[in-house]
Amino acid sequence: MNTNSKNGSAQDVAATLVKQFRTNIQTYAIIVAMIFIWILFSLVTNGLYLSPQNISNLIRQITVTAFLSVGMVLIIVTGNIDLSVGKVAGFVSVIVAQLQANIWYRLFPEQDLLAAILSVIAGLAAGTLIGAFQGYIVSYLAVPSFIVTLGAQWAFNGGILLVTQGKTIPANQPYFSWIGQGYLNPTGGWIAAAVVIALLFYAMFNSRQKKLRYGFELGPLYLDVLKTVMYSVMIVIYVAVVNSFNGVQIPVLLLAISAAVMAYVSNNTRFGRYAYAIGGNREAARLSGVNIKKNVFTIFVVMGLLCGVSGVVLASYIGYGTVAAGGGYELDAIASCILGGTSTLGGEGTVFGAMIGSLIMASITNGLQILNVPASWQYVVKGAVLVLAVYMDVYFKKNR
Amino acid sequence: MNDDSAVDNSITPEEDIILDFRHVTKKFPGVTALSDVSFQIRRGEIHGLCGENGAGKSTLMKILSGVYPWGTYEGQVFCEGQELKLENRSIRQAIETGIAIVYQELTLVPGMTVGENVFLGKEPLEAGAINWDKLYADTQQLLTKYKLDIHPQAIVKNLGVGKMQMTEIAKALSENARILILDEPTSALAEAEIEKLMEILRTLKEHGVTCIYITHKLNEFFAITDSITVLRDGHVITTQPTPSLTVEKLVSYMVGREMTERFPESHRQPGEVILEVEDLHAADPEESAREVLKGVNLTLRKGEVLGIAGLMGSGRTELAMTIFGEYGKITQGTVKLDGRVIDVKSSREAMMQGLSLVPEDRKRHGLVLIQSILRNISLPNLDQFASWFRIDDNAELKASRTFAQSLAIKAPNLEVQCNTLSGGNQQKVVISKWLMSSPKVLILDDPTRGIDVGAKYEIYKLINDLTAQGIAIIMISSDLEEVLGMSDRVMVMHAGRSAGTLDIAEATQERIMTLATGIA
Repeated sequence: MNTNSKNGSAQDVAATLVKQFRTNIQTYAIIVAMIFIWILFSLVTNGLYLSPQNISNLIRQITVTAFLSVGMVLIIVTGNIDLSVGKVAGFVSVIVAQLQANIWYRLFPEQDLLAAILSVIAGLAAGTLIGAFQGYIVSYLAVPSFIVTLGAQWAFNGGILLVTQGKTIPANQPYFSWIGQGYLNPTGGWIAAAVVIALLFYAMFNSRQKKLRYGFELGPLYLDVLKTVMYSVMIVIYVAVVNSFNGVQIPVLLLAISAAVMAYVSNNTRFGRYAYAIGGNREAARLSGVNIKKNVFTIFVVMGLLCGVSGVVLASYIGYGTVAAGGGYELDAIASCILGGTSTLGGEGTVFGAMIGSLIMASITNGLQILNVPASWQYVVKGAVLVLAVYMDVYFKKNR
Repeated sequence: MNDDSAVDNSITPEEDIILDFRHVTKKFPGVTALSDVSFQIRRGEIHGLCGENGAGKSTLMKILSGVYPWGTYEGQVFCEGQELKLENRSIRQAIETGIAIVYQELTLVPGMTVGENVFLGKEPLEAGAINWDKLYADTQQLLTKYKLDIHPQAIVKNLGVGKMQMTEIAKALSENARILILDEPTSALAEAEIEKLMEILRTLKEHGVTCIYITHKLNEFFAITDSITVLRDGHVITTQPTPSLTVEKLVSYMVGREMTERFPESHRQPGEVILEVEDLHAADPEESAREVLKGVNLTLRKGEVLGIAGLMGSGRTELAMTIFGEYGKITQGTVKLDGRVIDVKSSREAMMQGLSLVPEDRKRHGLVLIQSILRNISLPNLDQFASWFRIDDNAELKASRTFAQSLAIKAPNLEVQCNTLSGGNQQKVVISKWLMSSPKVLILDDPTRGIDVGAKYEIYKLINDLTAQGIAIIMISSDLEEVLGMSDRVMVMHAGRSAGTLDIAEATQERIMTLATGIA
């Protein structure tokens, strides 16, 4: 079917593009929505909204909860839910702050770099252990995840109070702060961009080569090139914009890496495939030899690890551990997934979609903040947008 | 309640046509599902609608129920002389017109009583509260009128499938349905229940209800219908009074060629014994004190088809699931493969031993319906293409295509979602996924349930191909003709035990039924 469009006219090209657009309508619709929101806010704020400084802020704002969304996608895809992620991330952040403030300097005086590294390791380990514990109860003891993670939410809220004793703990040593507040210098940013773009092109040509070797028909080359060029342009624009302010933020870089890894895992490994099969039809997956318990357990472990990452970035970014750390983040993370097309029934959802979902939520909050809309109304708008977005999805699915 | 006399004095006195399709054409992108379909259904008759999967039966029914509303198809449908103009998905409007559908999958609320289900959404009220006495009295009246033998206060989930279906029919009739569409009503029923359903349909006919009857079991057309319309590839091939037709004629109309044999010829030469089951006992996983299998014996040879017959509840499916490691605990007895005792505890272990199971309910157990054909075929076989960090998607696609092609799955490509496929094609996807693991023993649990004659034939041919390759096949089936037509030997189950094994030469429907009912 590609033979006539391979070297075809502009009409064929347009037709192919339209077809591509139709098949991915959900993904594109949400990107279009985001661009619409950006244009709208940039008009009402006289361009302030799209200034390098604000773009830079906006993207950094999403990182802490976006780490949670990255893991939440697979949790929801398997038909589970995790209500504890906000408080677990908060718990990790206060532990890390406590270690930074009161432990390491006694054990390793004057060794700030070592202390920062140990903090990161401790934070990730704590998150992973908590994830494993919850995953064990959910999958092997068969307690519904809603209950287990609701219980854990309360328990870790208590844990935060225990660790902090109700006080705020500083965590602002330079090495540690770099994780949440640091920047790549402009050259570093461009190098990173160049590496990513080179990888994108390599991956594209490599995949075409492999398909040829298997004797499969190839899609039109211009389409693949166009797609890759589009992604590259987006990366270049992003780096150019943030470089004109402070540079690429370290937490954004970490988020991009986490999201890329999880997107890969969900599509290209057995683990990811099994997750979608479990959510799509649990019985069929079980009879197909999928070890459901192990898979769900592992997903909770991964979620725990990402809570760890989120907690470390949180402590580093705000510079201290507080009693309120992580409150309500779980709902932001879940909302981002749903906005990004993850089905509450399980079986469907992508990491990429969840990232766009996060960005939309943050774009709205940020825009309202610039306009000095009171916090009360920010919540009202956020809630309305979530419900409206899902309604539109339902509407379009029904009338397709 | 339904006022029959009013219905009888309607608009078309000279010829009493209740439903009239005139030049109905329905196109989808790339496919014409219905092409210039014209036929008529007389009032009070039972009209059989016959055709292979994909012939256009479901499309036609979806037009009648408003899934494809007025304006999305060409041509006209007249119901009692009035053009049918249904709005989008307005099942309510269809019901008000007098058209009700009893679906293949029942749509009752299991935890509610028969009466509550019948009057769901239209409960009789008294001062804003439900008038329960009236509800149950009305239900009883309705059930008595149509000779439906169920108790109005019985909880639906405690009823057998047959009685659930009666409830469904009662529900449709309570809406004053004058046209009742039955889509594959007997696919889940046992012989006795089918007989009962036939009786009910005759009672309905006496009351002037028109029925459209869809089934894949051809003998039912001859048992119950007055006339039959045959569809093939979206065209009406013929509409004839049933007495003027024969099974052979009907099949040839359906497939468009003379089908001399329902079962393809085979020259099987069974080899050595590969699977032995000795005195197998297994408990219900939900209730470990209850034994479901109470002593099953069987032997299976390479390249052989062992048919397993038995009534519903005889433990056929449980036997298959137990051998596959996905049912309750084996409490006694052994399963030997290649002379070694095996003890599989999960489907994964079973696969590694070389066992495959095509489950009975393909939608619930066989497929992830929201996923593509490719993903479904490869799901149990990903180990073949994957290292710990990567699935070779090209190898996956290539292998899946090989199976999709050799089983002739009809779809534009393998990215098509399984819930858009016909039953026969879905079954082929399930079989593909279980063949890719190159099994030594393949268990087919009712492999042709709910699929059309053409697709059945293809599956039979496939079974012969597989036995020729030395694969041993256990075929469980409710269709006795199929068991007799395809098996080399038949093991009959009764109440969790093997009641006997017959050589195909000595097996007859009567002998199988005698063993299955426990008379022998």
